Amino acid sequence: MSFDLLTTVETGGCSAKIPPRQLEELLKDLHLPADPRILVDISTHDDAGVYKINDETALVLTTDFFPPLVSDGYDFGLIAATNSISDIYAMGATPLVALNIMMFPSSRIPMEVYREILRGGNDKAQEAGVSIIGGHTIDDYPPKYGLAVIGTVHPDRVITNAGVREGDELVLTKPVGTGIILAGHRLKMTTPGQLAAAVLTMKQLNNRGAELMARHSIRGATDITGFGLAGHALKMARASGVTIELYMKNVPLLDGTYSLAEQGCIPGAAFRNLDYTEGETLLADGLDYTLKMIAHDAQTSGGLLMAVAPERSDKMLRDLHSSGHPEAAVIGKAVRRREASLILA
Amino acid sequence: MKTVDTRGLTCPAPLIKTRQGLNEASAGEDVEILIDNPTSFSNVKRYLSDNRLPYTVREEGSLAIVTVRRGEKTELSVNETEYCTTGSEEPAPKVRKTVVAVSSERMGSGDDVLGTKLMVSFFRTLVMLEPPPAAVVFYNAGVKLAMDDSPALDHIRELSEKGTAIYLCTTCINHFGIRDRLPTGSFSDMYQIVNILRDADHIICP
Repeated sequence: MSFDLLTTVETGGCSAKIPPRQLEELLKDLHLPADPRILVDISTHDDAGVYKINDETALVLTTDFFPPLVSDGYDFGLIAATNSISDIYAMGATPLVALNIMMFPSSRIPMEVYREILRGGNDKAQEAGVSIIGGHTIDDYPPKYGLAVIGTVHPDRVITNAGVREGDELVLTKPVGTGIILAGHRLKMTTPGQLAAAVLTMKQLNNRGAELMARHSIRGATDITGFGLAGHALKMARASGVTIELYMKNVPLLDGTYSLAEQGCIPGAAFRNLDYTEGETLLADGLDYTLKMIAHDAQTSGGLLMAVAPERSDKMLRDLHSSGHPEAAVIGKAVRRREASLILA
Repeated sequence: MKTVDTRGLTCPAPLIKTRQGLNEASAGEDVEILIDNPTSFSNVKRYLSDNRLPYTVREEGSLAIVTVRRGEKTELSVNETEYCTTGSEEPAPKVRKTVVAVSSERMGSGDDVLGTKLMVSFFRTLVMLEPPPAAVVFYNAGVKLAMDDSPALDHIRELSEKGTAIYLCTTCINHFGIRDRLPTGSFSDMYQIVNILRDADHIICP
């Protein structure tokens, strides 16, 4: 099979999201149901909704789908499923079942590609212990794929954007730069190794990080996706009533990210994210322009950003390093609320 | 004049070619960038502004021609000024008229206790000024007035509530190591401070 899915799109993955500011504007007049069983809704911009069934169990629901960001159908399926399930992990929940969401142009792309995408999604779901029990396909071009996932969590152990406390250190589990590397790849500016490393990180489930969050009683976390590191950190800071400082020099980067961004390989999504954060963000004197833009690079299937009490962060890092996240690092901290929600240093 | 043609290219290729063109141009040589993609046009402008590269824009139908002025005595172009004020949430100087520049914790010299008392009194009085000053810029030891234990803090907060922008010099904050002790105000760099002072109609230096 040699059909190149990248020929169908200009921007793929989470870069294809609607600009965050526009989305907030659209959602702000939407009536939010006032049901005490709804523990988390869109008002805190969390990764998933949480609905309490009883004192022991809450349902966690999320969906995510996007156009292709890699050439190969099977890889696309793996990445899309990893990304969809990630929202469940970010809430501290265990994923259980899922539905496929597929848009596919049956007359323009060989159906073999369709099968490969589904096979990738299915294999990743299986790895996560998730059963795909149905789905829906629409004939549409370019193709898009993702999952709607349901998980469960104890109602008292929900992890949200709003759970960050002053003094917490912020730990990031995966390196940043997928948007920049994928854009660089399309312009033939990356090495095969750089692309492979980006694809590998996008295919890595956040299940280990989620297990560690449960073990360390983490209350505040999110996964880093389309709004970039800065956008997601800003949402956390706002929801938690703190200011978050990010030390950009400590952020682990995928190989090639810095030099590509320095050469101007900065995808449009990073500028959209910058538009969104800048009114509430302070840039420390001397912050490198390239690092500022990397902070806004839209990530696909990024890592978890978790708020860890400072006395536990060493242990958390050691545990992450020995569970498939060798690049996990402390990249910031939560401080007392200032006028700005986010400080990039 | 060097010309960079990005017609027909999509993001982020026009930006990469712009960067290349700027690198390749000789010192002082203007660089002209042809762009026909609206998103890239907007991103290239943003990139140039963020990197403090003055430019002018000429639009011919769907084609935009951005000229980066690299001559020695360039002023910020009209386009860039417009860009700065229309970037809706840019924490840029919202300067209207009066700006207060505070470079010390104390007002005047002679007696330190008296100087502190006078400065607190200055801020208490400043709150009563109508209309309130557009901005107060704190630098050098002046930033200490915005610290959590400062006797002037309440007045600075009142000013902020009345709409006065409070700017704190980041270099100074780092120098004194007081980053965690500033409950109000925006961190500001010298570029921003210089612009605020330049755009002021009156500057008060207590």
